[in-house]
Amino acid sequence: MTIQQVLFIVIALAVLGSAVFVVTTRNLFRAALMMIAAFFGIAGLFVLLDAGLFAVAQVLIYIGAISILVIFAVMLTRGMQGMVPRNSQATAAAVTVAIVFAVLLLLFGPLRLTIDVARWPVLSLFAANTSPRDVGGIAWTPPGQVIPPVPDTYIADFGRSLVDLNQYLLPFLLIAFLVDVVLAGAIFIARQRRPAEVAEDRQLQAEEEAEEAEAMRRAGALPGPASLPEGAVASTSDH
Amino acid sequence: MRTDFAFVGVMLVTAALLMGVALIAASLLRPKKPSKAKLETYECGMETVGDTWVQFRVQYYILALVFVLFDIEAILLFPIAVAFNSLSFFAVANVILFIVVLLIALLYAWRKGALDWE
Amino acid sequence: MNVINDLLKIISDFVAGIVNSIFSFSPFLADVVTMGLAAVVLCTFAALSFMGLTYVERKVVARIQDRVGPNQAGPLGLLQPLADGIKMFTKEDTTPAAADRWVYNLAPLVIAIFALTTYAVLPFAPGVVGTNLNVGVFYIIAIGSGSIVAIIMAGWGSNNKYALLGAFRTVAQLVGYEVPMLLNVLPVVMITGSMSLTDIITQQTTLNGNPGIPFIVFFPLSALVFLISGIAETARSPFDLLEAESEIVAGFHVEYSGMKFALFFLGEYVNALAVAFVFSTFFLGGYAGPVLPPYIWLLLKAAAVFFIFMWLRGTLPRIRVDQMHNMNWKFLVPVSIVHLVVVMALMKLFVTSPAQVQANGGILVTPGVQAAILFTASLAILIGSLLIAARRARIMRLQEEAILEQRRAENIAAASA
Repeated sequence: MTIQQVLFIVIALAVLGSAVFVVTTRNLFRAALMMIAAFFGIAGLFVLLDAGLFAVAQVLIYIGAISILVIFAVMLTRGMQGMVPRNSQATAAAVTVAIVFAVLLLLFGPLRLTIDVARWPVLSLFAANTSPRDVGGIAWTPPGQVIPPVPDTYIADFGRSLVDLNQYLLPFLLIAFLVDVVLAGAIFIARQRRPAEVAEDRQLQAEEEAEEAEAMRRAGALPGPASLPEGAVASTSDH
Repeated sequence: MRTDFAFVGVMLVTAALLMGVALIAASLLRPKKPSKAKLETYECGMETVGDTWVQFRVQYYILALVFVLFDIEAILLFPIAVAFNSLSFFAVANVILFIVVLLIALLYAWRKGALDWE
Repeated sequence: MNVINDLLKIISDFVAGIVNSIFSFSPFLADVVTMGLAAVVLCTFAALSFMGLTYVERKVVARIQDRVGPNQAGPLGLLQPLADGIKMFTKEDTTPAAADRWVYNLAPLVIAIFALTTYAVLPFAPGVVGTNLNVGVFYIIAIGSGSIVAIIMAGWGSNNKYALLGAFRTVAQLVGYEVPMLLNVLPVVMITGSMSLTDIITQQTTLNGNPGIPFIVFFPLSALVFLISGIAETARSPFDLLEAESEIVAGFHVEYSGMKFALFFLGEYVNALAVAFVFSTFFLGGYAGPVLPPYIWLLLKAAAVFFIFMWLRGTLPRIRVDQMHNMNWKFLVPVSIVHLVVVMALMKLFVTSPAQVQANGGILVTPGVQAAILFTASLAILIGSLLIAARRARIMRLQEEAILEQRRAENIAAASA
């Protein structure tokens, strides 16, 4: 048992334990904290894989930004106040997902099912020069085979690959535009309704109710005098 | 396997142990006389009314979202900065395009008043 | 001379030798024990400097405010930190009954732990560094952002409206000022070609141990914005609106007392000292210097930066929360982005090595000339942006005054009618 194996088992158990706690607990804040613990575990797994850059990026993005976003979002909806009602289909869904995932992993892993991306119309745009093995099959290394070590220059290589026309330049630029779209969407959803808009909404609502009351009086359902002079808005009850 | 991060792990554990020892020492040394007044939640001397919930304004969420977006941008810019000296003009032009698109996002948010507080 | 210069290295080699010989049956254990000893030394250094810094800060701020500061506990008040320490250990810990026990108790521990692990990558002398991570710069910023979660834990765990509100505001401030920090470390990484802290120092000392050109000459704008963001990140004055007694009564740590509050306090000062060390490493050349031993140079530079922190605390009034956010998102971030783009363009146009000219084209200049070009560009952007901001502020002020004048005229007309 090498040190790597021991560390891997410990960290993997920690991540799995935190994840199970996240989905089964009913206290949302504890769930968020356990999610952060799971993210830490994943950063530890990246360290075991010699990918220090991604471990630190994981801490910076997931723990430093996304966890805070999730906690803020939950607090916006007052979800922290009460406990969450239990979904009765949760267990069946979890078992189904686990089985499907295991089957997919088997197919694309040891059984080496691959997709030849170069022959698909849209996907081939993004995988112009990669071999079909790289995009469909998970590199499942048989035990005992030596994996080439991560080179010392992996950070610079990753940087170069991001701006290389033959590699990841297109996704890199698309991320910028995606960021624009996300920000525009969020700002639109969270916009302050201007007072004119608020008054407009109320006026529309009032007119609709007046029309309904009018129609019901004409049909005889409601007592009271029938028509009102044009242009006047009936005084409706407050909501 | 690299051993760079081993020291980080050792440092985390050591800091946890040292601070834990300090806390335990403090808990042994200090007096423990809880009284009803001391156990109450603090609200400038008055009694609390209602649940602990504050009016959570949406500006907090928008600020956190803008931070996430700039964080992701910085994550992608760091490896590019490390490889900067070997990049061609074309590559640097693309990086500048990336940054300018994000600047446009920031200016849009500014114009729409999403960056105003209160 | 050599003994004094390499004192730290000699001591650490000596201790490592002893440990290796004790644990010669298992090199793995020897490594672990050595690392453990180094970690203990670093943590103790941080904790002791925390105690000294509280005293120094109170004295310096007092002198700026034309008073004396602590002078009762021992000669010149030198035993004041000891008195404070004894107080922290023996104060009663009033935990509110409604608090969430685990979260409430873990939060100060997490903040202190994160503040201390920043010291694992700081180089104190050539060869004396906890671990020379090749993502050192990134690591420091990530640790800073990881401690933000602990603040939410503290605020929520206290089960107190004001603590929760203070926690949200603190997180909004810390999270906002991370962006200029990230954007302004990028030029330093670009010119070094590596994220490792020792490489950054080596890049600034290219002339045989004498300081080459510290990066503050290359990028004064980056240094200034990084300093401002660093002060805001550690929530020191003038950005300490979250601890203002008259506004939010100590913010997210209102329900903490005794040792737990001391851990929050320790986290703040250790963070501030870490920012001072990091700033000296990135922009001032770290441990490089002509005559004195390297660790003395590093301590002097960090002390100078920390003195600037204390100077600002004693001089500037507290900033308002909307002013703080406006300054961040509407001034610091756009200026940093513009500066980054300009630096990228200039660094590709004016390169310093013939190999680069051959590979990618550009004009060959010496490092000195490149430094001068980048310096003028930085200053131009800084002065230009300040002028634009000043003009905008003036326009807004004139508009407000015009509106006020109009209202006054209307009031007079209405009153006399």
